[in-house]
Amino acid sequence: MELLFQLIVLLAVVTGTLFSIIGVMGMIRLPDVYTRLHAVGKVSVFGVVLLLVAAKTLGAVDFGKSILLVVFLVIAGPTLTHSLAAAAYRMGIPVRQAVRNDLAVKFPPAAPPEVQRLLENGAGPDDGDETRLDRESPDREDDEGETEVHRRDA
Amino acid sequence: MQEVIDIALNVSLVIHLVLIGFALWRVWYGENAIDRLIAVDLTGTLILAVLVIVTLREQQGLYLDVAMGLAALGFTGTVLLGKYFADQRLS
Repeated sequence: MELLFQLIVLLAVVTGTLFSIIGVMGMIRLPDVYTRLHAVGKVSVFGVVLLLVAAKTLGAVDFGKSILLVVFLVIAGPTLTHSLAAAAYRMGIPVRQAVRNDLAVKFPPAAPPEVQRLLENGAGPDDGDETRLDRESPDREDDEGETEVHRRDA
Repeated sequence: MQEVIDIALNVSLVIHLVLIGFALWRVWYGENAIDRLIAVDLTGTLILAVLVIVTLREQQGLYLDVAMGLAALGFTGTVLLGKYFADQRLS
């Protein structure tokens, strides 16, 4: 039983340290304020909470004190992330492109095949058909495919 | 088994101190105010982790009281500074 508790302590310490490393790496590497907030939340909720679980399992601290700190961290982490993201958005800090398309260098992104067929036939999207997107009348069920094309194009 | 736990705690302590250095580097070279504020909050969280590891090493519950006070004050200060940067007032 003692060995089981020590194994739990070892696993919690190693996992919490790995989460802290991942959080700081995200803080350094990610391109944006909002994505950095996403990375920093990992350190608060997973890193410190797992270390507290280790401290509680080893019997180094009181039970209620560590539970109080865990509950405080789990409540305060999302609150703080939400507050900072709202403040950044109100300050007008722009959102950068966080997803990079590596395959676009070799294979340029292509339109869906229906749109390609329409473009080859010279039938571009005109403004008159835009009202067909939000209709609900069942009397025009025959041109479902064309509506699908315009919905994907819009 | 206790020796392995001691080695893991020492390595984790050193790693967290190095990570505090990276967070302080980010405070210095941040892009804007919210970025530096995030780095300050990350520094506080890592100091909290260091206090918990010291609790584990020394087997004393005294450091956890310091950690609770640091967590409460850091949370309040960061939320208030975020609101001040967004609205230019504190009320």
